Amino acid sequence: MDIANEQRGDWLLMRVGGRLDAVTAPDFDKDFQAVLDAENSHVVVDLAGLEYISSAGLRSILAAAKKIRTGGGKIVFSGLDGMVEEVFRVSGFAAMFTLYATADEAVAS
Amino acid sequence: MKRTGIAVRLAALILACSLVILSLIVGYNYVVSRNIIISQDEHTGAGLAQATSARISKVLFAVQKVADSIAYTLEDAEINEKLIDELGRRVLAGNPEIFGTAVAFEPYAFDPAKLYFSPYHYRSQNRIASTNLGSKDYRYFHMDWYQLAKELDKAVWTEPYFDEGGGRALMCTYSVPFYRNVDGKRIFSGVVTADIDLSWLQKMITDIEVYETGYVFLLSRYGTFISSPNPDLVMNETIFTLAEEKNVPELRDVGRSMLAGESGYREMEDLPGIGEAFIYYMPLPAEKWSLAIVFPKDEMLAGVTQLSHTVAIIGVVGFLALAALIISISGSITQPLRKLTVVANRIASGDLDQKVPEIRTRDEVGDLASSFKTMKISLKDYIANLTAATAARERIESELRIAREIQMGILPKLFPAFPDRTEFDVYASIEPAKEVGGDLYDFFFVDDRHFCFLVGDVSGKGVPAAFFMAVTKTLLKVVAERGLDPGQVLSKVNADLAAENESCMFVTLFLAIVDIETGETRYANAGHNPPVLLRRGQQPEWVPPLNEPVAGVMEGMEYSTKTMSMSPGDTLFIYTDGVTEAMDADKNMYSDPRLLDVLATLDCVTAEDLVATVDASIKAFTGGAEQSDDITMLAMQFHGPDGENKE
Repeated sequence: MDIANEQRGDWLLMRVGGRLDAVTAPDFDKDFQAVLDAENSHVVVDLAGLEYISSAGLRSILAAAKKIRTGGGKIVFSGLDGMVEEVFRVSGFAAMFTLYATADEAVAS
Repeated sequence: MKRTGIAVRLAALILACSLVILSLIVGYNYVVSRNIIISQDEHTGAGLAQATSARISKVLFAVQKVADSIAYTLEDAEINEKLIDELGRRVLAGNPEIFGTAVAFEPYAFDPAKLYFSPYHYRSQNRIASTNLGSKDYRYFHMDWYQLAKELDKAVWTEPYFDEGGGRALMCTYSVPFYRNVDGKRIFSGVVTADIDLSWLQKMITDIEVYETGYVFLLSRYGTFISSPNPDLVMNETIFTLAEEKNVPELRDVGRSMLAGESGYREMEDLPGIGEAFIYYMPLPAEKWSLAIVFPKDEMLAGVTQLSHTVAIIGVVGFLALAALIISISGSITQPLRKLTVVANRIASGDLDQKVPEIRTRDEVGDLASSFKTMKISLKDYIANLTAATAARERIESELRIAREIQMGILPKLFPAFPDRTEFDVYASIEPAKEVGGDLYDFFFVDDRHFCFLVGDVSGKGVPAAFFMAVTKTLLKVVAERGLDPGQVLSKVNADLAAENESCMFVTLFLAIVDIETGETRYANAGHNPPVLLRRGQQPEWVPPLNEPVAGVMEGMEYSTKTMSMSPGDTLFIYTDGVTEAMDADKNMYSDPRLLDVLATLDCVTAEDLVATVDASIKAFTGGAEQSDDITMLAMQFHGPDGENKE
């Protein structure tokens, strides 16, 4: 897994690539915590580069969302396709979060 | 290759350096002392030769004066036989060194009637005797002593000779020509001689002490030995014949130089009877003799050699003492190291109770020993901690294993589960991954007609997932037995799970309740993979997903209940993502389509065979790659009320 952060206006864009599973989930947790520590309250998590997400990955995303919402922040997701989109849909995550087709759209909101 | 220790190398290096320094000192000392001795001996030789030559010359000069004065006296015309006789006696009486004296006249010069006239006075048995030389056997005017003085027209010393007359004494004759005035002309009239016995000279020379075996020798003008410690040489050999005989060319060079009247100092490789030697020589110009002093090299340099030996012995003793000291010091330095090495090896092989030797030296070795001690203690502590930690880990692992067994134990494993029911057949299997996971399945009757079956997957792994799974399973059964709809069951269970769920654990669930009389099946899905419905004689199809969220995340979620009807022979296949996300070594996933393909090949198989076929297909696909998630499958085959066993 690789994560690249980029400030886009008010939004912090987190591009997550590779695989988000039991092995890489702790890294995502750590990186997301760093983003929160840097006082970012609006985060776009772009999953366009993500090939695979397991239930452990979903749990990390859930935990991240819970954390940022507790602090009054906002999290949205973009770039879901293929297997990742399927997982989001089936698990009902698609209904729980705001999703955008691309990162640009997410930032423009 | 054999190792050499520090002690040996240190000692060898220092001793080698010491040896070189010592050799240089001894060598330098020897060379310098030798040169000093040689230069001193050159002076000594010169002095000795000069003193000796002065002593000889003094005697010979006195003799010369006597002979010269006789010759002068004879120039007087008024000379007669009586006068000559008196003169001869007086000379001998007054000059003890003169053995004999002759006044040899030219033939007919003294007396025209006499061919021979040569009165000779000599010593014989403590008195002075006289005779007249000259006979046809002894024509004195043909003799060397006469001829030389006459021809050279000056006084000469003859070659030494053995006196045939008395006692074979070595004699030497000084001949002085004398002249008489005849008609105003100086006419050569004869020769005055003074014979001296050279025994005193020989004695004097042989008495000169030059070290132990050194000596002085005297050569005549032709190189004949006049005096030598070897009496066989005297008058028998010349320096050249000796050089020839003994094959010592350098001696010939010395001889030439001596006869040329030179002074010199020469080092000889091999002088007969002496060996290595130095020769100092100088001429006695008046007699054309040459005096040589022989210094035996070994004796001459005995002091130097002795000194060098002494220095060398002191050096060697010092060297040995130094060697002993260095060996003992380096030994004492490295001995603790060796002890430490032994102990280290024992410690390395696991004996941590080895006592580290007490090394109290306040140096690096002492530091090393104390570090070593600290290391041993730390190591012991570390190993103790590690052992404790390992024991603890093993205990935890064993507890985890037991927990896993308990977790697996709460899942129904006995098949056929309802051997007395013919309306349906249910079969489930779980293949746990190495790490504790959270898959679950269950089936039970909620009442006589309604059979509930479910499959779930708790997010994450480990003990939390196992707990969550156990709690979920327990809740599900408790809630489902109240006779609620599947959607309501999930809503209730979700509410219970979501309360105080700080850890964000969630569970996906598919729960169905089939009416075994009618085949009507109600179901609800909380974020779980869509199951597959295999209708008899038809292609398998996905049960459409409801896209409702996973359970345990948000309180107040309401789950909907869907209904489908099952006909006899239809099978509902429920599974977890461990099936579709099973991976081969290249991380390729088993995937939904593959699952559907495998199921499409099946027709009229039992629930157990269906599960077994999918399982075999998964194993064939992964090819032994490590399983990362639990693989859980449940198949419920509806047989219909016709299959009912009414008893």
